[in-house]
Amino acid sequence: MTAVVLDGIVLGLQFGLLGVGLTLVYGLGGVLNLAHGQLAVVAAIAAALALGAGVPAGVAALGGVLMAGLVGLILDASLMRSVYRQPTEGRVLLGLLLTLGVSFVIAGFLVWQFPIEALSLNIGGGAVELLGVRMRRGSLLASAIALVAGGALLAFFRLSTLGRAVRSVIQDEEGAKLVGINPASIRTFIFVLSAILAGLVAITRSMTSPVPVTAGIDLTILALVVTVVGGLGSVPGAFVAGILLGIVNTVSSFYIGQYITSIVLLAAAALTIVLRPSGLLGQRP
Amino acid sequence: MLEVNGLSTGYLGKDVVHDVSLGVGTGEAVAIIGSNGAGKTTLFRAVCGLLGISAGSIRFDKAEITSQAAHRIARQGLAYVPAERRLFPFMSVRENLALGCYPAAVDPARLEFVLGVFPPLGQRLSQRAATLSGGEQQMLAVGRALMARPRLLMLDEPTTGLSPKLAHAAYRALDALKQEGLTLLIAEQQVPLALSVADRGYVLEDGRVQLEGPAEDLAKSPAVRRAYLGVA
Repeated sequence: MTAVVLDGIVLGLQFGLLGVGLTLVYGLGGVLNLAHGQLAVVAAIAAALALGAGVPAGVAALGGVLMAGLVGLILDASLMRSVYRQPTEGRVLLGLLLTLGVSFVIAGFLVWQFPIEALSLNIGGGAVELLGVRMRRGSLLASAIALVAGGALLAFFRLSTLGRAVRSVIQDEEGAKLVGINPASIRTFIFVLSAILAGLVAITRSMTSPVPVTAGIDLTILALVVTVVGGLGSVPGAFVAGILLGIVNTVSSFYIGQYITSIVLLAAAALTIVLRPSGLLGQRP
Repeated sequence: MLEVNGLSTGYLGKDVVHDVSLGVGTGEAVAIIGSNGAGKTTLFRAVCGLLGISAGSIRFDKAEITSQAAHRIARQGLAYVPAERRLFPFMSVRENLALGCYPAAVDPARLEFVLGVFPPLGQRLSQRAATLSGGEQQMLAVGRALMARPRLLMLDEPTTGLSPKLAHAAYRALDALKQEGLTLLIAEQQVPLALSVADRGYVLEDGRVQLEGPAEDLAKSPAVRRAYLGVA
């Protein structure tokens, strides 16, 4: 059981990191980025191609993450601008439609160009014992990266001036303008950060299992579930929800079967919406 | 310090404020008085860049700020405290104050000054803004605006939701700030309070300036006394 729970935590940390980006973009501008998972796949495929060309793994991983950030920047500077110009109701719908379209375009392009490409980062070395359970080094490294990234994010949002500015836009955009904060540049910054985080998830995920070119939609759905359960706009909520859902995922997969996990995760999201519509830690950006 | 010329503005292409001109001199306190729906808030939102304008111009400290984005205007030293305060509800009092001087770091002397103006805030620095009382929230909203050392402070209905006692306390604090040399532009329905601090005033009705003049003249004006002071 300990092993299953530990595996769940390893997976959950990746879920958390995946959800954080989506939740921040939503909190800032009311846009649920349905291309979020595709940004992760962009990073995975870019890194896989670089690895294939003989680039060292660390550099390839970094390049992949930066590539996701670049695509995020291009999206923000082009399509997202027109979304943010809309009033709230129109923004939600247009945001969903456009990001869904972007998701199809990215997925279509990648599957067309690199149909069998997948990123698999092999972290060598023997297993390490943790709480009496033998863990793969890849799992531990992936978790360590996710923990460091999560801790850095929390510290950034709590302690830095820019982090506070991001939270202020989430909590009251007009109030933020009145103290001299430009919500548009904050949104650009967060959209790029969110893409970089998605890219980072692709890298850490590939340390335990391959990330194929078709993984985008699954990653997007996972991010949506994490975001809904954690509370839209909440960074700590995304991590708490991520870890809980990770454990739910591995436990149900271990005791019932892999086929049931998607249903269980979606049921968890549905249950949260019914019992606690604002999510576990909603309204606490 | 502030010159508004022939300003018209409104919502969805329909003007609510028509051809309004007003001025605020350095160190002056000016009141915009008018009933609910007279256009005071619309006028203020247009001046500070939250609302587009259909005609006219706005100059702040001799610089043209017409149609500039709100965050740019704020950074030039024009602070606006709206009636609904627009605090960051899930952040502490300290964080709200710190964001007042964004992107600069908090100047301890300035923080001390603001806490000196509003002592109750000093005891609530770690408390979330949403959990403060109405009076304390108003103090925090003004305190946050003061953190950036604004040259002009615009307040929209600063006594909204306050008891008469707290409303008087709020105006005493504003008077103290005025004595310190801060320039004030205040929109207010509670005319006696506004005129107690203001040097000059404008009466806004149906989006137009109907009357203007020194505060004591307005207080004596039969029209103002009839409409706002309940004197026949």
